[in-house]
Amino acid sequence: MADIVQTAILGLALGGVYALMGAGLSLVFGVMRIVNLAHPSLIMAGAYIAYWAFRLAGVDPLLILPVAAAILAGTGVLLYKLVFEREARSAKYSEMTVLLTFALAMVMEGLLGTVFTNTQRVTSPDYATDAFFIADVFIPKGQLYAGMVSLGIISALALFLKHSRFGYPIRATTQNREAAELLGVNVNLVSLASFAIGVGLAGAAGALVSFVFSFFPSKHWEWIVILMSLVVLGGMGSIFGTVLAAFILSVLAAFVGFYVGAVWSTLTFFVALFVVLLVRPQGLFGEKPELA
Amino acid sequence: MSGLLEVTDLVAGYGNGPAILNGARLSVRPGEVHCVIGPNGAGKSTLLKAIVGMLPIRAGDVRFKGESLKGLRPDQALRRGICLVPQERALFPAMTVRENLRMGGYSIPDKAELERRIDGIEERFPILRERRGQRAGTLSGGQQQTLAMARTMILKPEIVMFDEPSLGLAPKVVAEVFGIMKLMAAEGITIVLVEQNALMGLKHADRGIVLDLGKTLLEAPADEVLRDPRIGELYLGGRSEA
Amino acid sequence: MAEFGASEVVAARRARDSGLAGTVDKTRSAWFPLTLLAALLLLPALQFAGNYNYLIHLTLFTAMYVVMASGWNILGGFTGYISLGHIVFFAIGGYFAGMVFARMGISTIVLAPFAGLLAGLVGYMIGLITLRVRGPSFIISSLALVMIARILFENWHFVGGAAGVALPANDLPAEWAKLPYYYAFVAMAAFATWASYRIKHSKFGLGLRAISKDEIKAESAGIDTRFHKVLAFAISAFFVGMAGAVWGEYLTYIRPNIFLVVLMSVNMVLMCILGGKGTIAGPALGTVLIVAFNEIFVATLGASEINVLATGIIMMVSLMFYPLGIVGTLARRGKLPRILNWD
Repeated sequence: MADIVQTAILGLALGGVYALMGAGLSLVFGVMRIVNLAHPSLIMAGAYIAYWAFRLAGVDPLLILPVAAAILAGTGVLLYKLVFEREARSAKYSEMTVLLTFALAMVMEGLLGTVFTNTQRVTSPDYATDAFFIADVFIPKGQLYAGMVSLGIISALALFLKHSRFGYPIRATTQNREAAELLGVNVNLVSLASFAIGVGLAGAAGALVSFVFSFFPSKHWEWIVILMSLVVLGGMGSIFGTVLAAFILSVLAAFVGFYVGAVWSTLTFFVALFVVLLVRPQGLFGEKPELA
Repeated sequence: MSGLLEVTDLVAGYGNGPAILNGARLSVRPGEVHCVIGPNGAGKSTLLKAIVGMLPIRAGDVRFKGESLKGLRPDQALRRGICLVPQERALFPAMTVRENLRMGGYSIPDKAELERRIDGIEERFPILRERRGQRAGTLSGGQQQTLAMARTMILKPEIVMFDEPSLGLAPKVVAEVFGIMKLMAAEGITIVLVEQNALMGLKHADRGIVLDLGKTLLEAPADEVLRDPRIGELYLGGRSEA
Repeated sequence: MAEFGASEVVAARRARDSGLAGTVDKTRSAWFPLTLLAALLLLPALQFAGNYNYLIHLTLFTAMYVVMASGWNILGGFTGYISLGHIVFFAIGGYFAGMVFARMGISTIVLAPFAGLLAGLVGYMIGLITLRVRGPSFIISSLALVMIARILFENWHFVGGAAGVALPANDLPAEWAKLPYYYAFVAMAAFATWASYRIKHSKFGLGLRAISKDEIKAESAGIDTRFHKVLAFAISAFFVGMAGAVWGEYLTYIRPNIFLVVLMSVNMVLMCILGGKGTIAGPALGTVLIVAFNEIFVATLGASEINVLATGIIMMVSLMFYPLGIVGTLARRGKLPRILNWD
């Protein structure tokens, strides 16, 4: 019994982190129909910012989080202007942008690898290796804090989308880009803003990831498939769906890891991605199979 | 002659692909219903998209009240009073009916004014008031089209352009759609309509425009177009009697 | 108002339709690829004049990638299904032939066609599943395939897990040791290029190209799209698997981190995109350029991270500015030199 509770708790804690990692990806897909394969490599960049801030100046990753988010959001603006704005009218847009973001992921990996080498890193504030104990069950502090911060950020995002003046056009563009444009929404500006927010969320996620997982530049390939499984299961573009999928799959992966073997734990996400793509491509909350 | 909206020798296409429109012309007269007909791929939808700025204009001109719309974005064309209802209705499926109407007035900065106008629309279309809290994606096809059309009226536009509004609707619902269009015309809104079903479209229109191979072949009163034997042969399946 | 007659309009439509269909260039040349092949067959004679092992290695390596890129092109270029996971078939071919070679001593060159068939069979089965989705979904599923295969191979003890299996080297003198593999790869490259040509101009290839233009229309025109796609997947896997088979014996080991690298998978895609996907000469031209480029980069700068960076940049630039690739862009502008028109 204790094993089951323990495994579930570890799964849930990781789910919180995965949720934030996937949220930005989902937002960008929803608004722009871009499957941003470079998202995990941008998370990686956020993780390096947190890592070096901690190592050089001893700044807590949770404090550096807004800075990482801001830097990455700025990067997002730049990337949008340089790369994605001109692709918006391309005939084979969705396929083109997948290849482009794939290439961008390689550029990011190459840059990070050149600057920081492929050494494995992890940020180690005190809480990262500490835990709360409740009877026989332990809750790792680092993952708990990361999960809580992550859910806090996602809630703020949801409130922003639902109620703010800028949330309306973002939601409208997500649901029907052409109609939004025809009703006077400047969809290009909305795209720019959502892309910046999405990449900013990658930066924030990176700060959390930096003390939850060990990382090195080429690890982003593994993350991309994990995150895609969340986003696809949740229904492309549905942030709520992504969060729910993050919890479901993380708990599932935790159980597979515990009962079958640690190496098979990640495989859970990959296989889930396959199964969902083929059985229910629109995911849990997708309106229709947008991707197919 | 100079109409409300004048399209002259328009050349336009998608991305860097071939030109779909190749010298299209259109003269829109205030207060009338215009129906553009032509075969698949003639460039009918492309024409509407180019007018509101969804596609760049490669050559030729679009003038609204004597002023060129060239290079404007759709939101800028909208502010001047030209509104396009694209194919397949164009609602926000996960938003409620009321939210959809509110999006219709997205370009109106004055919130109180917007609410007043939405109330006015709901008065005229009671079904929309009845369903105001329902998600638009769950409405029936006819209700969705009603919502899409009513939504354009919030902005009190001068010209509304419809891209195949009858697509995929049951005949009875189609009649309703044309009824709403009549209502809009009666309020002085100028209408440009693209219809695959040429016979039906022309019957409800004042003017008929024939587009083929990206060029305007004929612009004339709708009943004249209906009677034209060439049109009968080319587009109405040989049945020229109207 | 313009005057027009019904018959003129019908004639104009017909003229437009035939104009769209009639863009096939008649200036193809067969002599150039054939001369190239003859030169490649004679190249090893240089060994009599000195040590040209490096040149032989580089040409062999290029020929291998021509096989892979041409194979990929059948699915990605003709059919329009972008797979980022074709390296999986390289690994299947490599592991099958490598294991049989290690246990029974049969040369991988002999085994290559069978390795290709096995890869094709696996490709057929995977295609049955993944080709049900299109566009980004398909691309992502192909990427997931690499990750799954990597975990499976790393944990499969029979094939040595992450450490892989060492294979015996042949006992030819150093200057001739590479030659069997060299000829094997050159022959495969020629075969892959010839087969691409035949497929592209067959009725089957026409079906593939119709799918790439508009799958729904192709289906309503009576093309069995599912069969076409899955078979194209299998054929392209066949070529990639065949290349993988011989590569293991040449390297003298098979190992997941050599046979299941995302960068190699990307290279196939990039070579086709850069050269011009959907064309016959494109994959070959792209391969020559990318291999040359990699070689210069690694030789001058050394670090593989920089190679990843540079590969990413080339891919971005060619996608953004020349999405049709070199051959496609030149052909569109009517400036394609005759020697590059193999279509």
